[in-house]
Amino acid sequence: MAKVRVATDWLAACAGCHMSLLDIDERLVALLDKVEFTSSPVTDLKHPPADGVTVGILTGAISNSHNVEVARQMRSRCQILIAVGDCATFGGIVAHRNLVGTQAALQRAYLETESTVDGLIPNSPELGLPLEKVTGIAEVVEVDLFIPGCPPRADDFHYVLSELLAGRTPVILPSEHFRYD
Amino acid sequence: MASVNITLNGQKIAAQAGQTVLEAAQAAGVDIPTLCHHPVLKPIGACRVCLVEVKGQRSLQPACTFPVADRMEVQTESPKVVQARKFILELIFSERNHFCMYCEMSGDCELQALGYRYGLDHWVHPTYTQNFPVDASADDFLLDHNRCVLCRRCVRACRELVANHTLDLRQRGALTMLSADMDVALAESSCVACGVCLDVCPTGALIDKRSAFMARADETERIQSICSQCSLGCGIEIVARRGHVLRIEGQWDAPVSGGLLCQRGRFQALNDRRPRIHAPLLRANGRQIEVSWERALQAAAQRLAQANPQRLGVLTTTQATNEALHLLKKLFGQVLQAKYTGFFNKVVPRLSSAPSGSLADLSASDCILVVGADPVKEQPVAAFMIKRAADRESRLIVVENQTTPLSDYADTVLPLNAIEQAVAMALKAERPVVLYGAHVTAEACRSLAKLDGRAPWVALQPGVNTYAADALGFGKYADTAALDVAFVLAGEEGPNLTPIEASLRNAASIVVQASYASPLTDRADVVLPMATWLERSGTLTNTTGCMQKACQAKEPEGEAKPDWEILGLLAEKLDRSFQVAVDEIAPSATRVWQ
Repeated sequence: MAKVRVATDWLAACAGCHMSLLDIDERLVALLDKVEFTSSPVTDLKHPPADGVTVGILTGAISNSHNVEVARQMRSRCQILIAVGDCATFGGIVAHRNLVGTQAALQRAYLETESTVDGLIPNSPELGLPLEKVTGIAEVVEVDLFIPGCPPRADDFHYVLSELLAGRTPVILPSEHFRYD
Repeated sequence: MASVNITLNGQKIAAQAGQTVLEAAQAAGVDIPTLCHHPVLKPIGACRVCLVEVKGQRSLQPACTFPVADRMEVQTESPKVVQARKFILELIFSERNHFCMYCEMSGDCELQALGYRYGLDHWVHPTYTQNFPVDASADDFLLDHNRCVLCRRCVRACRELVANHTLDLRQRGALTMLSADMDVALAESSCVACGVCLDVCPTGALIDKRSAFMARADETERIQSICSQCSLGCGIEIVARRGHVLRIEGQWDAPVSGGLLCQRGRFQALNDRRPRIHAPLLRANGRQIEVSWERALQAAAQRLAQANPQRLGVLTTTQATNEALHLLKKLFGQVLQAKYTGFFNKVVPRLSSAPSGSLADLSASDCILVVGADPVKEQPVAAFMIKRAADRESRLIVVENQTTPLSDYADTVLPLNAIEQAVAMALKAERPVVLYGAHVTAEACRSLAKLDGRAPWVALQPGVNTYAADALGFGKYADTAALDVAFVLAGEEGPNLTPIEASLRNAASIVVQASYASPLTDRADVVLPMATWLERSGTLTNTTGCMQKACQAKEPEGEAKPDWEILGLLAEKLDRSFQVAVDEIAPSATRVWQ
C-alpha cells in the first residue's frame, strides 16, 4: 500500500506546534512506515508537492498576505486540511495585535522601541503585507479539522494521525485530546 | 411539598412542586450545564446556556428559572438543545477576549469547561478586536472586563449576599459593562473589598491579585478551615500549592458564614509582613541569643517554677486555640497557682442565662437591635448579614453614642441612654434579634434583659477566641505592675502588646510565646517561637459558642510550634505532664458563661 502523503507548513507561528509534532518521538518512526512527510518548514523541502498530498497541516495565524498565499496553496494541494494550534484555530497570541491595530503595532515595533536606532517599517515588495486583522485559518480557507492547543500535545497529534490512517476523520477531538492551552 | 411527575429525557422522575427544572434535574442526577446560575444566588436566566426543550413550549426554556409542572416532558440534550447551546457559547466566545492560554482561570473556568463540553474548536464569528479596560485599582483583586461574560453573578452576590450594592451593569446590549457605583474605579467606589464576587465569578474576570498565575486548579489543594481574624469564625477554604498558601476562599456550606468573608479574613490575613521569630531566644548577659527548644523551655520552666505564685501572672491573646487556653489555664491556674490569669481584650457580658442566638437568626428577623457595637469594622460579615436583613425590610435600630458606619443603614439611630426606647420598639416586633458589643453599658444590659425570652441575643465579642477564654475563667487583666514573673502568650498580636510591655516594666523575668518580633519580645528573657494561625490546627469557639476546627495549611516557619504544643512541652519541663485531649477541652471551652 502506498504511503499516505502528509505536508506541513507554518504561517504566523512560533514553531511550537511543529516541536510538538516532533515530540511524538519514537512513535514517529513507526508512523513513517505508513506516512510520507513530503515537506515541512523544518525539512529541506518546504512546499507541498504540486501533485498534492492527502493530509495538509497548517500551524500559525493569518497575519499577512504571504500567510494567505501559503494557506491557499496548501488547501489546493491537500485533501484533508488540519488547522493546528491556537493561532491557526483562533488567531492565538498573534491576534493580540488586533487590540492595538496593525499600524500602531508596526510603529511601536520598528520605530519606537527604546533600542531602535534609525527605525524603518519594512516595505519590501518581496515581503507579505501585514493585514489589518489577524484571524484563524478558517477565515481564509475551508478547514476539515481543528486541533486547538498552545501547542497541542504530541499525543494529540499522534491520535489524529492514527485516526486518519485508520480511515476515520475525527470531527471534534475527544475531551482527552481537546485543550485550549 | 406536593410531588409532581415529570419526564426527563424519557425517564419518569418525581419532582417537588415549586422546583425549577434545573433543581429537579440535579436531584435526579441529570447534569444541565449552567453559566449565570450559582447555587447560592437567585436564578435569573440571563445566559441561556441551560436552555432545555419543554414539550408544548413554543421556544426553548431556561432550566434555572422554569418551574416544573405535573406531566411536563423535558429534553436536556436533544439536538435542538445542543445546537442552541453551541450557538450561545459561540456568541459569548465571540465577544471580548476568551483566549484561555494566558488566563489565570484556565483549568478552573466554567466558560472553558462549556467550550470543551460542546466542542468549540474554532471561531465561527469574527475574531474580537475591541480591548476592554482592566480595573486594577483595588488592593487585593482585579476586574478584567475582557474576560467578563456579563452573567451578573458578582452583581447578585454584591446585592443578595453582601447587601453592599456596589456592582451593577450599565449600558445595553453589546455595550453592557459591569460597573462599580456610578462607573468609578473599584478603589474609589463603595466596594468593601470583601471579595465574595471573586468566589462566584465563573471566568477570569475577577481574580485575586496575590494568587493570580501562581498555580492551576489541579496543582492546588484546598484545606477547609476557620478564619481566625475575629470572633465570628467564618468558614474558609485555604488554597495552597506545595505548602504555599495562595489565597483564601469562602466556604459555601460554612455553618456561621454561609460563604461570606470580609477583606480582613480573605486578603489582609495573608498580607502580614512583620518579621517572624524563627528560633527560641534566651537572654544571656543582657543579650538575646538563639538557643535550642530544650534550653529555652528549661529556662522558661525554671523561671516559672521559682516564681512566687502571688507575683506570677499569665496574659494571653484571644487568638489562642481552645487547646492552648485550656493548657494555659490548667498549667498556671491549677499547677502553678498563679495569682493573675487574664486576656488582652475586653469581654462583652452575657445578657441572660439563655444560650446565645446565632447569626442565622438575623435572616428571619423583623427587627434588629445593634447596641454598643461596630460590626462593620469589628465583625464585617455580621454587618453584611445585618444589612441583608435590612434589605428585606427588617427594622434596624442602632444604639450607639457615636455614629457607626451601620448608622447609615439604620431605620432608627439612638444614643445608649435611650436604650429603653429601642427595647420598647423591639418588644413590638414579632421576631426581634439583639446584637451587642463592647461598648454596651451596664444600664443598657439591664434594659436589654427585658427582651430575654423574646429575642435571641448575640454578643459580638472583641478579639478572636474570647468566648472560650472567658468561659475558661480568664479574666480582664489588672495590676500587672506588681508582677515579678510574667508569661505572655502574645500570639500574633501587634499594637495591643505595647501597653502590656509598658506595664511589665517592673517584672524580673518575662517569658513570651509569640509569632512576630515586637517590643515585648525584645524585652523578654525567654521567647518561644509560635506558629501562626495558618501553621497550626486546633479548635476555636466563636462568639455564639459554636466550636469549630481550624486546620493547618502550611508548615511552621523556622522552629515555630503550635501554641498548644509549646504549652504541652513547657508542662513536661515543669514535670507535670498532662495530655492535650480535645474531648477534655471541648466541654469547658463551650460551656455557657457562669
